[in-house]
Amino acid sequence: MKMLVIFEKSKRIRHVGHLDLMRTMQRALRRSGLPVAFSNGFNPHMLLNFAAPLSVGTSGRREIMEVPLSKEISEADFKSALSAALPSDLPCIAVRAVDDKHPAPMSMLRAAAYSIEFYENARPLIDAIPRLLARDTIMVMRKTKSGEKLCDIRPMIYDLCAVDDTHISCTLSICESATCKPELLMDALYAEAGLAERSYCLYTRMQMYGENMVPLELL
Amino acid sequence: MKELSTERLDRLLDSVLKPSRYIGGEMNAVSKPFDQAELTFAFCFPDSYEVGMSHLGIKILYDIINKQPWALCERAFMPWPDMADGLRRENLPLFSLESRQPLSRFDIIGFTLQYEMCYTNILEMLDLADIPVYSADRKDGPIIMAGGPCAYNPEPLAPFIDVFQIGDGEDMMVEAISCVRDCKAAGKSRLETLRALAGIEGIYVPAFYEASYNEDGTLASFAPTDPCAPSVVRRCVVTDLDHASYPSAFIVPYTEAIHDRIVLEIMRGCTRGCRFCQAGMLYRPVRERSVETLLRQAEELENATGYEEISLSSLSSGDYTHLTELVTALIERYKDKKVSVSLPSMRLDSIVKQSLEETQKIRKSGLTLAPEAGTQRLRDVINKGVTEDDLIRAVKDAFETGWSTVKLYFMIGLPTETEEDLAGIGVLARDVINTYFSVPKSVRAKGLRVTCSASTFVPKAFTPFQWQGQDEYDTIIKKQKDLADILHQVKGVNFNWHEPELSMLEACFARGDRRMADVLYQAWKTGCRMDAWSEYLRFDLWLDAFKACGLDPAFYANRMRGEKELLPWDFIDAGVTKAYLWCEWQRALKGETTPDCRNGCQGCGMQRFEGVCSK
Repeated sequence: MKMLVIFEKSKRIRHVGHLDLMRTMQRALRRSGLPVAFSNGFNPHMLLNFAAPLSVGTSGRREIMEVPLSKEISEADFKSALSAALPSDLPCIAVRAVDDKHPAPMSMLRAAAYSIEFYENARPLIDAIPRLLARDTIMVMRKTKSGEKLCDIRPMIYDLCAVDDTHISCTLSICESATCKPELLMDALYAEAGLAERSYCLYTRMQMYGENMVPLELL
Repeated sequence: MKELSTERLDRLLDSVLKPSRYIGGEMNAVSKPFDQAELTFAFCFPDSYEVGMSHLGIKILYDIINKQPWALCERAFMPWPDMADGLRRENLPLFSLESRQPLSRFDIIGFTLQYEMCYTNILEMLDLADIPVYSADRKDGPIIMAGGPCAYNPEPLAPFIDVFQIGDGEDMMVEAISCVRDCKAAGKSRLETLRALAGIEGIYVPAFYEASYNEDGTLASFAPTDPCAPSVVRRCVVTDLDHASYPSAFIVPYTEAIHDRIVLEIMRGCTRGCRFCQAGMLYRPVRERSVETLLRQAEELENATGYEEISLSSLSSGDYTHLTELVTALIERYKDKKVSVSLPSMRLDSIVKQSLEETQKIRKSGLTLAPEAGTQRLRDVINKGVTEDDLIRAVKDAFETGWSTVKLYFMIGLPTETEEDLAGIGVLARDVINTYFSVPKSVRAKGLRVTCSASTFVPKAFTPFQWQGQDEYDTIIKKQKDLADILHQVKGVNFNWHEPELSMLEACFARGDRRMADVLYQAWKTGCRMDAWSEYLRFDLWLDAFKACGLDPAFYANRMRGEKELLPWDFIDAGVTKAYLWCEWQRALKGETTPDCRNGCQGCGMQRFEGVCSK
């Protein structure tokens, strides 16, 4: 049996890196006393699977972690034990029990919705959205392991709009072959708007989706 | 007062290295309403978060202060230089991690003094907090306290710190914060509050004392100038460690601290009497916790933290009376929970083979041994009661039980050291390697790794070597080079050493007087900070600072002191008497050893403290 844990990583915790988050979750699970399965081998460890790591600084409203268990346990019991063991800034929102054959969340991930919030009016940037979306191709320089590479992110933008003068929302492709981070989209938008100076903004991943834009946590 | 703007702080945190150092909110961090506390205390560690969060004292005192319903203790660490510069650039004040309050809003700021080379960070943190660094310039705002091992020679920090705590902090801290709370409630002035604090045992208020100097630069007199201040400040001692307060929960950092695990303080103090060791003199006598107490603490801490490792802490864990019983019980209890038990600072003459076998059941870490010197003659001088046979027996046991990584710690520049002593280090290293190969292939583990580490001897206050001059810089460099050549000829040994520049500055502060404060201020003012991190040490600026203040580092570091010289720390009664230390110094020069006092009192002076020594 495996448990899908939906948790929030926001406020101060957005500065915690992915490896530190994994260790934090492992220790929380140890404190909780829940029957988590360990790997076999010389150095046994918990086999936690995260749907997708967040960049340091980016918040996540409904992040997903998969926890393999060594014993059956009810969702309600699991949630209350884990919640009691987590720091208050890292709350568990929901859990869902799935069987061992359930595919890993990462393998089903296709897209994610982001919210981008500014401390000041971002009107000039927002005005550039329709112009950017009207393009057939949007070429941006992305950094990969093997250096910089020019790539077209237009097909990876599923949705992009302004909520108000300080708030942009977007839905972007995120899967092995085609991932567009919101920072990359902002590079393109700044270029389209012809703005050299960046305004400070906060990124939040609001939701992750699988095939046909079904929320990943329901798959 | 600088205000903490959320937007500017968010932006800054997004631009610095490891922002998780500054976020607080970790598991088991306190969250009490700041404005409702009768007394607020900011515990400041003058080094990075990762170093500070590894320190046991902060965990103990943070817990003790927060256990008082009327008090609140929060934490702050030395920001990494990128963050320090960012705070200045954004005009943001240094803040506490828990409630993000500017430090200047606290009633007390307390620094722990673990290492002399963190002193510039204290000035840097005060300045970042918008607090004048000199006590004399502070008319209001927090009272600045300091404690810890370096407080036994407080003089180089005297003009910057309002109140020093000398000795064990458990009881003294509650007394000190209660005193400040009462003074605050009664509306007493800063001066009246400092006077009240000066009356507490273990507390030293430097503003109430005056020093004068002889023509040759040595101290002529040191005396109180205010009737409230005692002429001798007596160290505070916790007599019953088993019932002393200990946290039942540790804060669990998000980012990895250097020592990120459960620490059980199995005992405090060591009576072996190594003559270079300040801790061995300052934490006398030996006080042990019972196995029952330690097992209870282990269980509470394991439940509260989820840590995967328990380590035993003391100056000499091998001397703990019930070591085998404790280690066996811990391993038995935690093997199913996959918690490992490690035994650091193990003295090689007391390693029990049984304990070694028990430890490796879970995880095998490297074996660290500290012979300190290369020949028996020099080991007798420093009173390190360890023979080459002890060492070889210990590593043989270790190799036979599956260890293959050994670290050997040595010091160079010890009193009376000769070339022969350096050559002896090479002999010892070769013997360790030969011992490994004498163990049958089928028994020993593969991949032998022997590391020899040589640090430079730094004479410290309240040790028998407090009269000894440190080797001059050029001599240290030559000895390091010679030792490197010697060890180069021993196949399979890695050699590393410490920067001699740092050891020299450490020696100046370890036995410095009040005038060293001028050097410290000047060095900080010209840009020195994070000196303990080699990438930030600016030795040139330090030398300039000495010059600008008209002081000679050799006067502090390299000069031999005489029996009659008044030492800057003589006004502190640390337990061991000056007469005993001098006697030990003379025995050292004759190569005579002194046995562990648990086998018979050696008259160090601790008997004068009521109820402290059991024998």
